[in-house]
Order: sequence, then C-alpha cells, then structure tokens
Amino acid sequence: MNAERGAAVLLVACVAAVAVALAGTTERAHAEEATAQAPDKTVGAPLVHGLAPMPGGAPVPQAYRPPGSYAGDRGPSHVIFPAQKLTIRFNHKRHVRELGMSCVTCHDQAKTSRKSSDSLLPPAKRCDGCHLTDHRDLDAVTGAPGELIAQCRFCHVGYQPEHGNRVARQVVPKPNLRFNHAVHAARNIACQQCHGTVQNLELATRDQLPRMRRCLDCHDKPEAARGEAKSACTTCHLSEADGVMKTSFATGRLEPPSWLRNAGHDADWLERHKRVAADDSQLCANCHHEDECVDCHDGRVRPRNVHPNDWISMHAVAARQNNPSCTSCHQIQSFCVSCHQRVGVTLSGPTSNLAGRGQFHPPKSEWTDPPRTRSHHAWEAQRNLNACVSCHVERDCAVCHATAAVGGRGGRIGGSIGQGSNPHPAGFRARCRTALRKNARPCLVCHDPQDSKLAECR
Amino acid sequence: MPNARFIPRRPLWGPSLVGFALAGLWTGPAAGFESEVRTRVAAQFYGLSGPFGDRDILRRRYTHTLSLGLYELAGGERPGQPRLDARVRLRLDGDLGQSGAERNPETEDRFVPELREAPIDLMYGYVEGRNYLGGALGFRLGRQYVTDALGWWSFDGGLVQVTTPLYFRLVGYGGFEQRGGLPLLSTDRFEADGVYRGERFGLEPTQYPEYLDQDELAPAYGFGIESSGIPLVHASLGYRRVINRDVVATVPFVDDSGRIATFGDNRTSTERIGSTARVEHADVGSVGGSTVYDIFVQKLSQYDANVDWYATPWLTVGAGYEYYLPTFDADSIWNWFSHNGMSTAEGRVSARFTRRTDAALTGGVRFYATDGDPSDFPSTENPVPADAANQRSADRVFDHFGTVAGNYRWGDGSVGLRAMGEKGGRGHRGGGDVTLVKLFDDERYDSKVIVSVYDWSDGLRPDRDATSFSYVLGGGVSPRTLFSQVRFGAEWEHTTNRLVGQRYRVLATLAIEVSK
Repeated sequence: MNAERGAAVLLVACVAAVAVALAGTTERAHAEEATAQAPDKTVGAPLVHGLAPMPGGAPVPQAYRPPGSYAGDRGPSHVIFPAQKLTIRFNHKRHVRELGMSCVTCHDQAKTSRKSSDSLLPPAKRCDGCHLTDHRDLDAVTGAPGELIAQCRFCHVGYQPEHGNRVARQVVPKPNLRFNHAVHAARNIACQQCHGTVQNLELATRDQLPRMRRCLDCHDKPEAARGEAKSACTTCHLSEADGVMKTSFATGRLEPPSWLRNAGHDADWLERHKRVAADDSQLCANCHHEDECVDCHDGRVRPRNVHPNDWISMHAVAARQNNPSCTSCHQIQSFCVSCHQRVGVTLSGPTSNLAGRGQFHPPKSEWTDPPRTRSHHAWEAQRNLNACVSCHVERDCAVCHATAAVGGRGGRIGGSIGQGSNPHPAGFRARCRTALRKNARPCLVCHDPQDSKLAECR
Repeated sequence: MPNARFIPRRPLWGPSLVGFALAGLWTGPAAGFESEVRTRVAAQFYGLSGPFGDRDILRRRYTHTLSLGLYELAGGERPGQPRLDARVRLRLDGDLGQSGAERNPETEDRFVPELREAPIDLMYGYVEGRNYLGGALGFRLGRQYVTDALGWWSFDGGLVQVTTPLYFRLVGYGGFEQRGGLPLLSTDRFEADGVYRGERFGLEPTQYPEYLDQDELAPAYGFGIESSGIPLVHASLGYRRVINRDVVATVPFVDDSGRIATFGDNRTSTERIGSTARVEHADVGSVGGSTVYDIFVQKLSQYDANVDWYATPWLTVGAGYEYYLPTFDADSIWNWFSHNGMSTAEGRVSARFTRRTDAALTGGVRFYATDGDPSDFPSTENPVPADAANQRSADRVFDHFGTVAGNYRWGDGSVGLRAMGEKGGRGHRGGGDVTLVKLFDDERYDSKVIVSVYDWSDGLRPDRDATSFSYVLGGGVSPRTLFSQVRFGAEWEHTTNRLVGQRYRVLATLAIEVSK
C-alpha cells in the first residue's frame, strides 16, 4: 500500500513537474509579448519571436505572401531587390494585430514617398515611445533599466552587452526600379495589395516585396481601362539614356520571366527568340538596342554561340540539313556565292579557280541522270533550293532548264536541241498568270517571249 | 574582254579612318540632351580553303563600327513623355586579304563580282519620335529596320505608328529598300534573296550576265495592324511590297546578234503578307503561331505553331511545328524551282533549376516529302518518257536532331554547354562546346576558354567526314580611367581535323563607349 501511495505521489509529482515545465516554456516563449505588463523577470530568456516570418521558421502560408507570388518562386527578383541583411528582430503580427498599430504608425512616409530610393523603414527613435528607449543620439542610446523591451538585445539581433553602443548594421539596398508610393496610395491601393498580409507575419523579409505579376494586373490592362497605370516598362524599370530598359546591374542581369510573353531567356532562347521577335518586336525593343540585333544578323565577327568552332568545315552539311537558319543572317546569292567563287566550288566564277578541282557533287549517274533517287539533284533542289543557290547562279540552271529558243543546252549558239527540262512544281499552271503579270522577268530567262507556254499564262 | 573604261576603285582607308576617328572623339554637348558614342574595332586574321584544299583565302579583316545617339532632343526625360531621339551607325568593312585582281574585271580569270575591299555602309540612321499626341503617335525617318512576321528588313524612308484606344495599333511605312550597289552606303543584306546583283560598273554586258545591274532605287511600302492591350492575346498582320525598276538581263546567253536580252519594266520584287498570334496565360502557358504568304509565289512560304506549358514556375515543356518553303525575289527564276517546303517538328523542355542554373533539351524530326507527280506542264522540248514515271515518285526524307544546352553562373563567371546532333540522308553532325568565362579584379579583366569537339559527315560526298577538335583562348581588359567604358580583347582559335590539318584564327577587338 505504501508502495502504491508512493507511486501515486511520484506520478502526481511528475505530472506537476511536466505541467510546470510546460507552463514555464510557454511563459518564456511569450516573454517579450508579456513584458509590457510584467516586470523584468525574464532577463536572459531567449527571444524567439520576430526572427523569421513565421514562428520557428515555418513556411509562410501562400495566402500571406504578396499577390502575384507563387509557391517556389524564390522570392522577388534579386536583380531588382538586392539581397538584404536584417539585423532587427521585429514582430509585425504583435504590433499590428495585438497592439492595434497600423502600417503607417511606423512606416509614416509610405503614403507620401515618391521615389523608390526613399527609406521607408522607421527611424529607431520611432520605437522609443513604447520601448522606453532613447535613440535620439545614436552614439549614446539608452534604455530603461530592468525593462526587457528596453534592452538592446530585445531588437538588435546578436547584440551582447560587451558591444556597448554598437549594433549590427542593417542592410536594405535601394531597389533597382522606379516607384511612387504616393500615387498608389492616392488610388486607395492598400499596403497588403502589393506586400501581402504582413500583419500575419512576424518578421517581414524580401519575400514580402511586390511581384511584377501583380503590378501587371493594373499596368498591363487594355489601354482604355489602364488609366494612369502606364504600360511602358520604363514606368517602373530604370532606363538608359536612349530610353531602353537598364538591364545590367551590380546584382546581375535583368531578364524577363518565362511567363511574360513566353520570353524567358532560357538555355534554348537563341533558337526560340525569333518567334517572340516576329510576334512582338517592341517587346524586345524595350531592353535591346538594334545594335545587339545587327551584331549577329548583319555582323562581321562570327558569333561563337551560333557557329561553334570549326563551323567552316561543317557548314555545308548544316546548310543542307537546316537551310532556313542560314537565311536569317546571310544573303546567299552574295555572301555565300562570292566566297564560294573565290575558293572554286562554283560552276561560275573565276576560271583560274576552276582548274584542277575535284568532284563536288555525287557522280553524274546519280546526280543528274534518271531515275530520280534521293541522290538526284532534282530532289535536293526541290527540297532545299537555298543550298543550291548558295553556289549556283541562275545561268547554271538555265543551261538545262531554259528552252532551246533562248539558248538552253547550247540552243541557238551550238545548234543542238535545247533541254528545256521543266522544273515547275505541281499546280504551277494555276499560278503562272498572276506571276507573269507581276513580274515577267524570271519567265524570260528560260522562255522566248513568243513561247507557246508563256502564251498559256497570259 | 578587257574594258578600257574600267577604273579600279580607290580604297577609302585613309578618309574612312580619319572620319571615324574624328567622329569618335565628338561626344556632344554636355547639356540639353543626352549623347552617346560607341565605337568598336575588330581585326581578324585567318585563312580559308576550299573542299579541294588548294584555294586558300587569306582573311585580313578590319571592321570598324561607329554609333552615335542623341537622345531626348525634345523632352522625354520622364517615361511616357514625348521624346525625340536620333541614332546613326556606320561601318567600315575592310578585307586586306583580297587581291586587286579579284576586283578588276579586266583580269577575267580572277575577277569575282561584288567584291570590294573596304566598303562603308550606313547600317542605320534615323530620327525617332515617340509618345506624341498623348502617346498615340510615333514615327521614324531615315534608314531603319523593321522586324515583324515578314522578317528582318531595312529601308530608307518614313514610318508612322498610331496607337488607338481601341485595342489595336496601326503601322504604315514607305521608302526604298536598302540594297547593295546603290550609292547610298548600302549593303545587300536586307534585299530578297535569289538575285545576284550589284553595281556592274566596268563590266561588259556579256560578262557575268546573271550578275544583275542595281542602280535604281527600289520603292517599298507596307502597313501593319497589331493588337494592343488585349488581355492574354497578341496578334499582328503585316503587308509589304517592294518594286524592282532596274533594266536587267534576262536570258543569260547572247542572242544571234551577240547581245544579251534585257527587261526593264517596273515589277514586283517581293509582296508578302505575314501574321502572328499568341495566347498566353502566365499560370498556364502559351500557344502561338505565325504565317507568311508570298503573294507573288501564291503560296504559304512559312508557318509555324507552338505550344508551351509552364508546368511549374521553373519548368516549361513545349512542342512546335514549322514549315519553310524557300521563296526569292520575284526577279529570280528559283521561285519556280521550289516544290515542297521542309517541315520541322520538335519538343522541348526548359528548366531554370536555380537562379544560377538552367538547362534546355530539344529533340525532333525534320522532313520533306516530294510532290510525286510531274507538274501540269509535262514537257517542253524533251518530254519525260512514259517509262520513266518513277522519276518523280513520292517519297520522304527525314533528319533527326536534338540539342542540349545548359548554363551555370556564379558571381564572376559562368560555364556553359551547348551540344547538338543531327542525322539524316544528307549527313550527320554531332558534338558540343563547353565555354568557361571568368572575370577578375571586379570585372577589370575577363577571360574565356571554349573547347569543342564535333564529328560530322557529308551524306552527298562520302569522302568528306572528319572529327574536329577546337579550342579558343581569349581575354580582355577594361580600364575605366579614360572613358566611360573601354575594353581591349584578344582571342586565339585553333582547329584541327584530318581534312584541313591545322587552322588558326586571331581576333583582336577594341570597344569604347562614351556617354554625356
């Protein structure tokens, strides 16, 4: 029985001890919140709130984050909003939700600021009224003795008594953009509409800074509904002297996000950019000078990201495989032909370059004689004429394809029968009348003006 | 036949360099408007040889560009305000590797049409106004570029753009196409392809008759309409026409009287309509496409469609289809040689894993189908024999391709990979580059290393295949004491493969940018 009584007492004692311990923990956890009413009984207790947005560093619920943010977005642009170093412990939730303060109680310039370079952080002396401190002379800050909330370490993270009057410097760089708080406030745009529900958070970090997606809710509206929210990029983004956006900063290079007109400058942007430029070239012109375009598309120094090393050896294969890419930068009847004539790979050109050259195309039995297999020149020409045109001039083709009446295959000159091989594609008859009316010159290269075939197209 | 009238062109080196240097020193007034001068010099030394290995071209190239910008000539200090700017860019494009004989038509066995030692071209030069009439009116006057669904193009003239409050914008322009051979510091880069033309000064009519004379301005005009401010949607429609006016040779053979026949009517050079459309939702993805219809050829010469799904904020998955039929200047005979275009279908995955790391993967197939039957003009002098019906049998040619690209960046450097492979009936290519860039001393010094390995073969010439190894070593210095931005750079490139042996290239650059 004694043993049972003893066990019961021990159990009660244990439960009581646990309860007391838990109560003590809870009390310490909320020490800084209770100190407004309680005397300084917890000096030395850990200060755990206001060090992160959520208690214990828990993830911030999406509903609290700025509109336009999304899970995993890694915060706002590091180029626009450079990294910060926050050395102040501050509990927004405590101040706003529990103590009834408003945003402008501390950020009093938030509704009147006209420049993004304005610091909207409250001066330290703004805290003095409640925290029983005196920050008027930052070289000799004082606090009410015995009051936890008046201790330096209560707000200044990492402060130790031996630091004296020195605290860690807070670094909040100016953002690399234009912003006029006053204009937005005047349109009754609340703080939360851009910064999220900071009142639900303890520490407010970079993550509560606005997202461009949210800005575009107003700044990308149809012109008629846009009002004063101009859509020009430089409404918010910094600009160069010539009016284009400034994109190079000490914090990095500003690039569009993928979701903005599908213009993300990802690893395959080089191949994709033509689609965006063709659809909306003004979008590109917001950031890029035409110099950047012509340096590649009309340049004189080989861009290595387009033409890798030893491109000259491979270019013939590349041109046959994917000729549309060539014409985006090269005029093949001048750029290509001139060089090919100089190295002697053309049928025309300087006679001194033609002597002793080898066979460029497959043997005649495959390349020009029937039947038309995959190695026949007709197939290559029909499929990929740009490759032919990069070496051949029209005379080379007219020799066989022109009618005898105008000299094809010797024609009038040699007296032999002209070849007149018909190169026209299926359906040409239906198109020739309009073509002849708009420009008869190509017809007259191969056909005599009196040719009956021409008459059929008149 | 030697032409006694031919007077060799005198190189413009002296006056060009002096002019560029003097212009480069001028940096505009310090107040009233902003001014900016950019100049860039590139000297390249390398050699080229033909596939037969015995025709070496020495490239001794000197390229000098000079850009001048005058900004905010009439206000525009704040976004949305009317502003007036002026921009001009000149280029001297010299090649000392050419021989004089190559430019002299009297040395017929060496002469190459259009070769010039040191041409100067006015790449662009215009005055631009923006945001006039409350933002509704914009204009440009001078040599300028147009980029739209019809491609990348340049002309001399005027462009007006009117933005309406009714969700669309109108663009109209007119002038003359920039063409080579004209006495207006022009290049032929922006004229329609398929015509070998330029200045025939000093050439007899029977010399290179297919090299067509270009001495008349080519009138051009166009207009476009583009959506403006419609949520989720952007679309555009553009039309452009260019007119040829030169008297040019037609038949490239002399007639019975020993002359070359000519043709000189005003006629279409190009006439095309292009359109684009895109629907996008920032949380979902994008669907878009474009078309180009060649009115002269009366065919859709290009169209494409693509879908991209923003699977996650950092991952995009997409697919696309593209069709391309080569079309040319209407003076060219080759519009009537093209049959079917080439089609390309591809899929892509693009990921931005972190702010420092991104990668993309594409893969697809490029294919072409013959049109099978002969045309409805079955024959001329030599009809196709009835027993040769298989000469135009329908068939398809396929190429398969894939690319991989990725980058990793850190504070003062990056490493990138670009690799590709393509295989089909016309040969194969496969390989990649690794590029390392590193900056030093707060970006005062920069360095670059590129290493490449490619293996390739020419499907139509079985003896042409090789594995190429190349590397590039480069560096630069950017002293900031004299001007706003200055950079001296140099690169050394070495390539080796079994066909060419060793090949070297040296590139030296100087870039200066001054703003006031």
